[in-house]
Amino acid sequence: MAPEDTTPPPKVVCTALAKTFGGGTEAVRPIDLTFAAGRTTALVGPSGCGKSTLLRMIAGLEPPSAGTIEIGGAPPAETRRRAGLSMAFQDPSLLPWRSVRGNIELALRLARCRVAQSEIEQLIALVGLDGFADTRPAELSGGMRQRAAMARALATRPGLLLLDEPFGAVDELTRSQLAQDLPRIWQARGTTTILVTHSVSEAVCLSDRVIVLSARPAEIVDDIRIDLDRPRLETTARSDAAALLIDRVFAALASGMAAARPPVAAQ
Amino acid sequence: MTGAVSGRVDIRSGTGRIATGPVPGVLLILAAWEAGGRLLTEAFVLAAPSEVAAYLVQEWALMLRALGATLGNAAAGFAIGNLAAVALAGIALIWPRAERVVTGLALFVFCLPLVATGPILRVFFGPGAGPQIALAALAVYYTTLIPLLVGLRAAPDSWFDLVHSYGRGRLAALVHVRAMAALPYLFAGLQIAAPAAFLGAMVGEFTGAERGMGVLTIRAIRALDVEMTWALATVATAVSILAYLAIGSLARRILLEAPPVILAAPPAAGGHRSAAWVDGMLVLAVALGLWAGAIRVFDLNPFFAKGPGDVFTALVLAPDAADTRAAIGEALAETAVFLLPGYLAGLVAGAGLAVLLVLVPAVAGIAMPLAIALRSVPIVTTAPLVVLLLGRGATGTITLVAVMVFFPTFVACLQGLRQAPGQIMAVLDSYAAGPLTRLVRVRIPAMLPAFFASARMAVPASILAVTVVEWLATGSGIGSLMALSASLSDYDMLWSAVVLVAALSALGYGAVGWAERRVLARYAPEQIA
Repeated sequence: MAPEDTTPPPKVVCTALAKTFGGGTEAVRPIDLTFAAGRTTALVGPSGCGKSTLLRMIAGLEPPSAGTIEIGGAPPAETRRRAGLSMAFQDPSLLPWRSVRGNIELALRLARCRVAQSEIEQLIALVGLDGFADTRPAELSGGMRQRAAMARALATRPGLLLLDEPFGAVDELTRSQLAQDLPRIWQARGTTTILVTHSVSEAVCLSDRVIVLSARPAEIVDDIRIDLDRPRLETTARSDAAALLIDRVFAALASGMAAARPPVAAQ
Repeated sequence: MTGAVSGRVDIRSGTGRIATGPVPGVLLILAAWEAGGRLLTEAFVLAAPSEVAAYLVQEWALMLRALGATLGNAAAGFAIGNLAAVALAGIALIWPRAERVVTGLALFVFCLPLVATGPILRVFFGPGAGPQIALAALAVYYTTLIPLLVGLRAAPDSWFDLVHSYGRGRLAALVHVRAMAALPYLFAGLQIAAPAAFLGAMVGEFTGAERGMGVLTIRAIRALDVEMTWALATVATAVSILAYLAIGSLARRILLEAPPVILAAPPAAGGHRSAAWVDGMLVLAVALGLWAGAIRVFDLNPFFAKGPGDVFTALVLAPDAADTRAAIGEALAETAVFLLPGYLAGLVAGAGLAVLLVLVPAVAGIAMPLAIALRSVPIVTTAPLVVLLLGRGATGTITLVAVMVFFPTFVACLQGLRQAPGQIMAVLDSYAAGPLTRLVRVRIPAMLPAFFASARMAVPASILAVTVVEWLATGSGIGSLMALSASLSDYDMLWSAVVLVAALSALGYGAVGWAERRVLARYAPEQIA
């Protein structure tokens, strides 16, 4: 039984969320953020700006120093207990002694989720790993490992999907293919998706909304609604509408790098 | 000379992969051995392989009985010692604060000289297999514990994040991630432990068992039976190598890859200096408490079971305390004359040869598999041979200690040298750096962690070697003093010597560890993170 069958995709509400690490490094300034249910939101910002920390706090892997997170009205720990979220990490984190299929099956077991073998096969095919189901990670390229990790994240049918630079090592061509295919899944399922990425065009083409963060400590520089038509195709990225949005994200990024600005409330 | 080394020394596993195969090297050694045996027929020191084979064919029933007895004891000790190691690692895992105390105590017990614990265990257990099994277990647990502790910490954090992101806790992480990631390390430890258990059982049999390889060894030495001595050493060597290879192949079958190269994590990493000091005192206190407690709990006969108070009295308060101290001091000084040159020579020769072989890679292909196989040989069982060959003087003892240190150091250094990061090597290549520059700038710094881990583990091993030779052959130094005290039932002297030797051994280990941390902080900071 998949969790999403029982629970609708959750709205994620972060209130006055902040993180200061033990050494005194301020990773995230108090920030208010709401991620709409069933929508895809991209977080963009310079390296080390704290966007991964933000994602890890939402996943409940990192306790916030201040503020609260509610996922569908519940704290992250409870969502995790219900196996209501899954996360794809920057480092694919595949267990080397398990095949691609074995890694997916382990996630299902950990999430106490039952899924038909045929669905696992479909997912593996969808991320373009046909014929590699029984291959161990060591024999896959970096991009293939990330795609396997993506298949694993989707397998448990999470209500909330957290993606931390999931396509960093994937080559450009496969990336644009995945950018078309994967959103179809999480949109068909109505998954709430939060995507951290370095790639501005990826952020624009995949999401309903792009939040631009400043250099550390992270503050919101711009909050951009992406109203491009769906399904988005390869041509979407080259459309004039997309180009304008991409320009706007770049401009926001540049101003966020230049200087720390007073916090801007989002939504 | 049969080059050999005790598995007790080393916690590092080879890749276990025999690329070119040891066959050329083995043939070479056999040929030299046979030639030497024929030439030295009159000298009564060396039996040629043909003579050893003839002896084994003639006395196969005797050998088989002895081998069966020793193998049984070794297997029992292997099981008990490894279970203890797993239990100790479990304690350290559940209660991380206990780790330093657990490893400190384990090190102290590992440093106890088998030569003296053997007779004490014999009195404790009486006749039977008790001491053999106990010594086999003692020889094994540390070589398994250290890699296991490393292995249990070997999984990257993100794997645990994965488990936690599905809402599962430490138990699921242990079952699905930690235990699986530790398996290769466990196998690496077991691979070294198997020959070590055999060695421990044999040393236990030296203390007066009814049957076994150790009993026959003592008999052969007393009778100056050259063929029998060589035949016993050959069988012990063959069994050890087979056990080592068998566990290696089992590991490859289960893991589908060779066990990893393991470096013992340097002791007392990071933290405050005072914390390490406090931990040291804590270990000492717990050790003294366990020691005194065991004597009370088992209600041991105070005639032979001396507690911490008795040893303090014997060394400080008793009227003859000055004599006791003088006798032990004199014996320790005699031993140091053999131990230190042998230890240093073994380290220099091991690291030096490894460096040399890297410069001449063709030879390394032959030498490496041979050295990996030979270092699993319980060298102490070949002590009688070394003494037969080189006499009872300083040369024989120093050589034995050096050989004991040489093999693990050589294998570790060679692997360290080969681990030189490929990308950095590529950078040097792009500047057309010569082989010497690459060696000095990249390979030797990359070798340092392996070298130091090996030097550290070689401290207790070399003390084991020197005391066994002194006991069995030369009749001087601390090993002989302990054996003599045991046979004279001078238990005050025996326990005092045991405590001092173990303490000095642990101090030596700590001193090498201190030097190691200082060097690694510069050359391999990731090792002590």
